[in-house]
Amino acid sequence: MRMIRTLFLIGAFLFLGFSKICSAQEGFSAQEVIAKSRLAFFYAANDMRVKISMELINQNGHKRVRELTMLRKDYEDGGEQKYFMYFHKPADVKDTTFMVYKYPDKDDDRWLFIPAIDLVKRIAANDKFSSFVGSDFTYEDVSGRKPEEDTHHLLRKEVLNDNNCFVIESIPRGKAEYTKRISWMDENNFLPLKEEFYDKQNELYRQFEAQEVKEINGIMTITKRVMRNLKTGHRTEVVFQEVEYNSGITDDIFSERYLRKAPMEWVK
Amino acid sequence: MGKVNLDTKLIISAVAMAVTASQPIFAAMPDMHGFAEFDYGAKVSDDNTKRDDFNLFEQRLQLKTNYFFEGENYLAEKRASVHFKGDFTVDEYFSGKTDFELREFNLSLTPYNNLDVKLGRQVLTWGTGDYLFVNDLFPKDYVSFFSGRDDEYLKKPSDALKMSFFPSLANVDFVISRFESNTIAEGDRLSFFDSFQGGIAGTNSDRDLLEPPSRASNLEYALRIYQSLESHELAFYYFRGFDKNPNSYKDETARQLFYPRLDVYGGSLRGPVMNGIGNVEFGYDNSREDSEGNNRLIENSKVKILSGYEKDLGNDFKVGLQYLYEQKLDYDDYKVNLLPADFVFDELRHLLTQRITKLFKNQTVNVSLFNFYSPSDKDGYVRPTVSYHITDQWKSTLGANLPWGEEDMTEFGQMKRNKNVYIRVRYSF
Repeated sequence: MRMIRTLFLIGAFLFLGFSKICSAQEGFSAQEVIAKSRLAFFYAANDMRVKISMELINQNGHKRVRELTMLRKDYEDGGEQKYFMYFHKPADVKDTTFMVYKYPDKDDDRWLFIPAIDLVKRIAANDKFSSFVGSDFTYEDVSGRKPEEDTHHLLRKEVLNDNNCFVIESIPRGKAEYTKRISWMDENNFLPLKEEFYDKQNELYRQFEAQEVKEINGIMTITKRVMRNLKTGHRTEVVFQEVEYNSGITDDIFSERYLRKAPMEWVK
Repeated sequence: MGKVNLDTKLIISAVAMAVTASQPIFAAMPDMHGFAEFDYGAKVSDDNTKRDDFNLFEQRLQLKTNYFFEGENYLAEKRASVHFKGDFTVDEYFSGKTDFELREFNLSLTPYNNLDVKLGRQVLTWGTGDYLFVNDLFPKDYVSFFSGRDDEYLKKPSDALKMSFFPSLANVDFVISRFESNTIAEGDRLSFFDSFQGGIAGTNSDRDLLEPPSRASNLEYALRIYQSLESHELAFYYFRGFDKNPNSYKDETARQLFYPRLDVYGGSLRGPVMNGIGNVEFGYDNSREDSEGNNRLIENSKVKILSGYEKDLGNDFKVGLQYLYEQKLDYDDYKVNLLPADFVFDELRHLLTQRITKLFKNQTVNVSLFNFYSPSDKDGYVRPTVSYHITDQWKSTLGANLPWGEEDMTEFGQMKRNKNVYIRVRYSF
């Protein structure tokens, strides 16, 4: 009995030591993986232009379509960013533009332009858990979350669809939309290939999945993704088309001038 | 409602000439968008207007298109585009009268890197208020607003030249426009307070509204200078033109009212405060034809101070609050000069508004309540709406317009007999 216990302890010790060596070999703590993933997912290149098509599909299969062109410019990796969005669809929001200045340590500045009444409206931005344009993505899902806002643990490593992944559990330190998030991060490019969001009852209620990853201008990019709400049966499928990186989007685009008069050479 | 009158034709031909003067002409028919809509607003209070059972019953087809110039020509180089938007309506209130309203037809271009120009019919808006306007003196349609048409129709288009300059120091908008009055209740569709009738009037109203004649000396000028201060936006405004409401008397015996000259100077600041968006705006209205304030027939000069706050409480629930203070500046002079039979308007007005919006079902259902309340005028106006995007194309809206007031001559009190409940069904394409 004693021997078994000793062997078990030695085994446990060796296992812990081995896993320690393993993660040391990889050189990344869970926190670092999350930080790198945020840069790969939300801060790729210095700027980005993409045509985004979103299908919002309810449990009965009814579809709504949101189509927009998004311009993004980074001012500092992991720091300030500016976004410009121009809506093509649906018809009743066509030509509407939306602009966001994102700051690392304070609420976003957001402006919405409604062309029918020539109105530039300032949008209160204290709502990172609200849905983005009615989809299953929250504002936080589409603009990122600071790594320090959660405590991260490497649960294990796992192969997901032939990709080696870090599986990381993140528990929010403060108020959050979820109580636990589990992410599968690709070991090679740190892109999130799958994410699970758990609610207060510790039940899985939202699930993110990257369905297609392509190399564009040397940058690995998720070009198809889906977010499922498992409680309502609603899901949102997103396709990125015409992705361009580092095309030199100038700072002046992100201004009231272009909010009122969309820069067609960029958003067409 | 704007008809296809001579002025409209002039605008159309001016823009058309500018367009055809360049080569090549339209290469292909651009995409057409818009909507078809049905509106019905049942009256829930009695008055003396044209109809007892409804004050809104119409079908509307809006068509809009944008054309962007391409190729090697001046207009393409200057990133020129033409925007058109027009509404065809069949108005059952006036026994099926058909109409066409040209809402936008303008040429927009960037002749220099830091100059944008927009010429033609266009909708213009600035300022920080929500349904309250201090420095936005562009024309409004309050008949649409009170009868339940979409918010889009609160703003009337202007025939204007807008120049926007973007030097590094600040941004400047300068607008030259033809006078266009506000569309207000005149007794046929909506009842209102008519001093000549001594109370709330409908079809018995026989006022004569005299607009300033169309000529160069009657053009209006509006200026806005704005700049961002980190996350805040600071703006200054100047307007030189006419009062948009016919609240002044030209000839009492002939029941003539007119739109006196008006200058407005103002400023605004908007930005994040206390986890929401706050705004303050002030305006000084100089009633130029009564600068002493002793003419009882012409509107007094005024100050207006507006402050507002909007906060997102999460879960698609937003709350907005506003407070507007208005004061007539030469009230003593106004009062001294009143005649014994005159109606006496108050010196001060305090107005509070509140907007609550909650979205449901993946933001396809919008429940909103807008409330105006004036403790000084003892009146108010409740605007509840529920709208549902059945699909991306189909949207239905159910709403009500419920103005109320203790007195007949206050802003909302005079509208109290126009209460309605309306339904709107729209197909967008």
